[in-house]
Amino acid sequence: MTITIFSVTGCVRCKIAKNFMSEQGISFVEKNMKEEGKEDFQAFYKANRNAIFRGPEGIEFPIIYDGENIRQSIGAVMAFLYHGKKLDGFFSVGTMHKEWVDGIHVSGGNPKYTEEFLEVLRFLKNNNFKLQVDTNGKNSSILKRIFEENLADVLIMNVLGPEKLYGQLAGEEIDIEDVKRSLALIPEFPKFKIQTTIVPVTREDGTVNYLTPEEIGETAKFIEEGTGTKKNPYVIKAFNPKTSSNPAYKSLEPLENLFPYRSKARMYQVFTEIEN
Amino acid sequence: MSGENILYHKEHTWAKIEGEQVRVGISDYAQDQLGELIFIELPEVGAEFRQGEVFGQAESTKTVSALHMPISGEVIAVNEDLENDPELVNNDPYGKGWIILVEPHDLKESDNLLTKEEYINLLKG
Repeated sequence: MTITIFSVTGCVRCKIAKNFMSEQGISFVEKNMKEEGKEDFQAFYKANRNAIFRGPEGIEFPIIYDGENIRQSIGAVMAFLYHGKKLDGFFSVGTMHKEWVDGIHVSGGNPKYTEEFLEVLRFLKNNNFKLQVDTNGKNSSILKRIFEENLADVLIMNVLGPEKLYGQLAGEEIDIEDVKRSLALIPEFPKFKIQTTIVPVTREDGTVNYLTPEEIGETAKFIEEGTGTKKNPYVIKAFNPKTSSNPAYKSLEPLENLFPYRSKARMYQVFTEIEN
Repeated sequence: MSGENILYHKEHTWAKIEGEQVRVGISDYAQDQLGELIFIELPEVGAEFRQGEVFGQAESTKTVSALHMPISGEVIAVNEDLENDPELVNNDPYGKGWIILVEPHDLKESDNLLTKEEYINLLKG
């Protein structure tokens, strides 16, 4: 199986991926979309445009394709080159540039592959990248290893909501003690941020509405109890209904006034701010 | 064709009246802003659009831009050369890079479009 790597002239991340494949003896062919690979890239794009991710600055490179799987951006590409699909969920397409790599999700992958996941993080760090890692609290044991090895330059914890709704908001069964263990670790990281997006919830009676200010207050209390402090950098954000794949959520009006939420949150997280 | 005898929609599409039909493309400014195009999403022949409505999309590695109908009408032809060579739009935006051919509903709608001078003034801000 030969991998095609779509690159762009001057793309340092593309070079890192190519060098890795060369060193590992992975058969590959390079198509530079600014040069001789232009037509090949156009054909590939035409056939796969719905699967190709665009960040704020355009299409993210490098892109690799093995005839079946497409992976984009350095984190997801290296994860696939190292371990194939095992690390799916841990990496998505990152949109940060220069020395930063994001799209790294502690809670997104299978903890059975912790060592493999850490291996890729070490590779990225050894290539002088700074890593922005995020978690929703699941997989605290992996977070602990990341902390011990200093593999996250910035850690973002997405606290999904109050304890009672956590599993529903995560869309899966969640061990809340695991989340608490993650919360306890957060303040140890040199640079971190905690955030909550005020998302819609389907209630027991079937109605759909946003998390309430009181529920955000409970979330902030959950953070205080877990981290042991009211003084964390904490932001609350409005949900964008247009981004939802759920038709019931898509039709909601966006929340405009987050001040009641901030007021409730500040009872337990005194530095709560609203992020636009 | 250098852009003469062409009218412009404020969203950077141009319209050239050719008898009963109108040929449509994007301006030189627009193609330059987009960069090298890698894909043009073309409408179906037979589709109808109102003036100002989005009829397709132009995509480069940098960005994606909606294409706005300069005059209401029915699409009677699309430039099939763009399927395999979207860069025709970059290289010859007013000639070989035309995008669609339209049978207009009402040619008087062209009164709503900009002359070349007005379009240039628009770009100057």
